[in-house]
Amino acid sequence: MKSIVIGIHLKQTDVEPVADSMKVDDLFASVFSVDDDRPLGDRELLLEIAAIRARLLDTATFIAIRYGLAVRDENELAMKCAGQTKRWREILGAHRDEVEMTLKAAATAATPRPDRRDFKSGAAYLRALHEAANAVDIDSDFRRGVERTLLPITTRHRWLRDSASVELAMLVRRGDLESVRAAGESLRRDHATMPFLLSGPWPLEVFADDHQQ
Amino acid sequence: MIISNEDDRLRESLTFAEPAIPERISADPEVVENGLAKLVLSIIELVRRLLERQALRRMEGGNLSDAEIERLGSALMKLEEKMDEMKRVFGLSDDDLNLKLGPIRSLE
Amino acid sequence: MVEKEEELTLLETLDHLLDRGVVIAGEATISIGDVDLLYLGLNVVLANMDAMKRSSGPGRK
Repeated sequence: MKSIVIGIHLKQTDVEPVADSMKVDDLFASVFSVDDDRPLGDRELLLEIAAIRARLLDTATFIAIRYGLAVRDENELAMKCAGQTKRWREILGAHRDEVEMTLKAAATAATPRPDRRDFKSGAAYLRALHEAANAVDIDSDFRRGVERTLLPITTRHRWLRDSASVELAMLVRRGDLESVRAAGESLRRDHATMPFLLSGPWPLEVFADDHQQ
Repeated sequence: MIISNEDDRLRESLTFAEPAIPERISADPEVVENGLAKLVLSIIELVRRLLERQALRRMEGGNLSDAEIERLGSALMKLEEKMDEMKRVFGLSDDDLNLKLGPIRSLE
Repeated sequence: MVEKEEELTLLETLDHLLDRGVVIAGEATISIGDVDLLYLGLNVVLANMDAMKRSSGPGRK
């Protein structure tokens, strides 16, 4: 049997009985055990894990582990998590009452993609890609609507742009979720032709991956 | 909760939406090699896009040292070079593969 | 309309499961230098594409 690692949680009661737990230092990982020869890419497995994540989030906020980590036992998990638990404990404590929400919006600006042959160094190329992606933006009217209706409800937010999409990652207090829903509905009403998607709640994903807090 | 004014343009910009993987891979030996090449390249392109996305996210978060930026940028460049090489070897164009290299595009 | 929303929820859920979250170093990680970026598991990638294609109905390009 191998154990697929789902999330990192502050307390054991944050995990059980919804999922099995493994100790990681003084934190707890939620895991799902499968046969050794079960492929991780199994579609049904993916959906099952997604469902468990949702139930875990109903219980308490946790740090999401990107899907794909499977360990044999607690020792292997401890080895792999070495040195991270202190930071995780801080993040979990700081955001205990919060969840992540995601807003994705279609980009409107066109920017030509930098040609790698124009660059001598990897750093210059990556910076150019970053700059070009940052030039991508959403409709300013819509953005203003987002800033007016959604951002005030968030405790933290971050715009993420890449070459194909613009996203807003938000931290929201659990008690404010209904307000977020109302804001989303008003955005939909006021910007009927603007393609966007507001989804959540999610566990700590973007805001758990920070290396600097 | 999902609230959306969704349409195809938004769908295109969701992760993993593209490149297209051929529905069927022909068993005809003359076609096999090309079919496999397309499949492999499509997968590599997907990985490349994911890597690029991740790299850009890390840059956005201010999480990378100068050395890391250089390493990531170089790796992405090399990956693109490799893919171009493979496309030449197999005589495949971007259109053949039904993929464009990470469009920073206008969605009109 | 309900079908489209279900499909969207699936795409979005898979996106969050597979493309976000903390990467813990493992044998299946793609890393460049010390920067861990992705779990490789090509079968995960393929399965995800399979899930995407299966969940998308006609009319999707």
